[in-house]
Amino acid sequence: MKAIECSDLHVAYEKRYTGTESEVLKGVSFAIEEGSRTAIIGPNGSGKSTLIKAICGMLPYQGSVQICGTALDKMNRKTIARNIAYLTQLSEVFFSYTVYETVMMGRYVHSTGSFGRATKEDMDVVVNAMRSAGVEPLQDRQLSALSGGELQRVFLARTFAQDSPILILDEPNNHLDLKVVSELAGYLKNWSENTPCLPLEGAVTGDKSCLPLEGKVSAKLTDEVEKAEKARPHTLIGVYHDITLAMELADSLILMKDGRIAAQGTKEEILKTDALEEVYGFAVRDYLKASLKNVLGG
Amino acid sequence: MKQKSILYKCILSIVFAVVVLIMAAGLGSVRITPGEIVSVIAHKLFARPLPEDLPASMVSIIWDIRLPRACSAFIVGAMLSVSGAIVQALLQNPLASSYTLGVSSGASLGAAIIIVNEITIPVIGTLLLPMTGFLFGLATVMLVIFFSAKLDHNLRNHTIILFGMVVSLFVNGMLTMLSAAYSRHMNRLILWQMGTFAGRRWMHVGILLAVCILGCLAVCFFHKELDLMSFGEEQSQAMGVEIKRTRFTLLVLSAVMTGVAVCFTGVIGFIDLAAPHAVRRLFGSSHRYVLPMSALIGGSFMALADLLSRTVLSPQEIPVGAVTALLGAPFFLWVYFGTRGKR
Repeated sequence: MKAIECSDLHVAYEKRYTGTESEVLKGVSFAIEEGSRTAIIGPNGSGKSTLIKAICGMLPYQGSVQICGTALDKMNRKTIARNIAYLTQLSEVFFSYTVYETVMMGRYVHSTGSFGRATKEDMDVVVNAMRSAGVEPLQDRQLSALSGGELQRVFLARTFAQDSPILILDEPNNHLDLKVVSELAGYLKNWSENTPCLPLEGAVTGDKSCLPLEGKVSAKLTDEVEKAEKARPHTLIGVYHDITLAMELADSLILMKDGRIAAQGTKEEILKTDALEEVYGFAVRDYLKASLKNVLGG
Repeated sequence: MKQKSILYKCILSIVFAVVVLIMAAGLGSVRITPGEIVSVIAHKLFARPLPEDLPASMVSIIWDIRLPRACSAFIVGAMLSVSGAIVQALLQNPLASSYTLGVSSGASLGAAIIIVNEITIPVIGTLLLPMTGFLFGLATVMLVIFFSAKLDHNLRNHTIILFGMVVSLFVNGMLTMLSAAYSRHMNRLILWQMGTFAGRRWMHVGILLAVCILGCLAVCFFHKELDLMSFGEEQSQAMGVEIKRTRFTLLVLSAVMTGVAVCFTGVIGFIDLAAPHAVRRLFGSSHRYVLPMSALIGGSFMALADLLSRTVLSPQEIPVGAVTALLGAPFFLWVYFGTRGKR
C-alpha cells in the first residue's frame, strides 16, 4: 500500500510586485510505501522543503497528491493532521507553555469540541509520547527554561502525541549539536519501529489501510484486523541536509535537484551510482570518507 | 502549573475585582461605605428596603453615576485585554496590542469627522459619536485585512502587522490634517482621543456588557487554536488548525471588541498590552486561563485606573490613559522582569 503518491506535482511561488511565477517543483512524481523510511536530500534550493509542504497541504499545487489512496485536496486540515504529523526546524518560542501543555497540544486533532477536556486516553498518549522523546522528567518545566535540544525533543513528543501514521520531518536537526542529533535519531527510529500505528475507523473497509477521510480510533475492529494494524510501523519521511543522518534514518532516498527528482531508490542502489556527486556537484562520498578519517585519526 | 495554585490565584483575582469595584463606587468627593453600596444594589436589583438614614442623593451618586462608570471601565478593560491577548497570540508578537490593526486610528477619524462637521442625528442622539467611531474602527481593520490578503494570500503575520502600521499612519495623517483645518474643534478632538469614562450610564453598560459577553464567549471557543497559533503558522497548520479562517474570525472578534470599547471611551492604551502579559506570568500561557483572567485582571486594572484618575487630583480629573500608563508601566516591569528568575 502506498502511504503517499505524488504524480506530476508542480508548485510555483508568485513573485510579489511583479506578479510573475517562479516554479519550484517541476513535475515531481514518486510513491512512498507505507511503513517505509524515506529521506529527501539535495542541495539548497532544490525544492525539498517545498515538496514536504505541498504534501502536508500547506502550499497550493498542481498535479496529484494521494495520501493512502485519498486525494489530498479532498481532505480538510484536521484530516490531514490526523494522517500526517509534521516536525519543523527548531523555531523560536514566544509564549512559554509547560512541556506537558505543549505535548498535549498534539492531541488537538483528536479532540472533540473546543471546551473538551483531555480524556484519559489523551493523557496516556501524551505520557507515552513524552517518554518516547525522553522529556517525561521535564513535563512541568516551562519551554523558556529549556535548551535547544530539549525544546526540539518536546516538539518531537508533540508530534508523537499527534498519533498520525505518517511522520514528516523538515530538517529537524538544524541548530542542534551532534549529541542531540544522535539522541533525536534514536528516539525517532525507536518510535517509528516500535510504536504501532493506531488503527483508524474505515481501515477495515476496502483496500485503504490506515487513512480514512474522517477517521477515529475504532473500538469496533476485530481482533484479527487490530493485530494486523498494530504490526504496521509508522511511515517516516525526512528532509535532511546531513547525509549521514539521512543514511541512518532512511531505507530509501529521493535525491532532488532544481525542482526535479534526480534519482530515487534504496540507499544501496543510490550509493552504487554517482547520483550523489551529480546532484551536489562534487565528490560527496570522498569528502565524507576524508572527514571521517580526520575525525577518527587515520 | 498546579491546579490548586491556579485556583487560589483565580479566587484572589475575583476578590481583587470585587474590592476595586466597591472602592470605585465608594470613593470620591462623597465617601460611601461598602454597606451602603451593597444596600443600594440590593434595593435596585431585588427591591430590598433601603436604610432610612440613606439620603436619595447618595443613592443617585452610587446607582446613577459611580457604578455605571466603574462597570463601564471594568468591561472596557476586559474587552481591551482579551483583544490584546488574541492579537499577541495570533501575530506571535508580544508587543502587539489590540490597536496594532488600526482600530483606534479609524475610530478617532470617524469621531473627528462627526465633531468637526457638528453632525447630529436626533434619533440616535448621543450614540452617534460612538457608532461612527465603531464603524470607522471596524472599517479600518477590514481594510487592513483586505489589503493584507490581497498582497499575501496566506495572510501572514508580518504582512498584517505591516499593513496595520501603514494604514494607522495614513489615517493618523488624515486626522492631523482634519485637526489643523478645524482648529476650533481641536480641544474636543483631543479630549475624545484621551479617553474618559465620565458620564457613562447604564445604557452604555448594557451595550458594552452584551458585546463583552458575546465576544469573550466566542473567543473562548478558540482557546486551543490560540495556543497552537502562538507557535506559528506552519506548526499550527501541521497540528490541524485552519489558520486562514480561524485568524480572520479572531481578528474580526478582536476588532469588534476593541472598536466598541474605543468608541464609548476614546483611546486608552497600555492595558491591552500589559494585562495579558501579567496574566501569562501569573497563570501560564494556556489561553484557557489567559482569556478569562485577562478579562478579570484587565477589567480590575482599568476600574482602578479610572478611580485614580478622578480622585488623585480631585476635583480635577486626569485622563485615564495617563493613569494606565503611569501605573501600568512599573507594574508591567515588575511582573514581566521581576518574576523571570523564579520560573
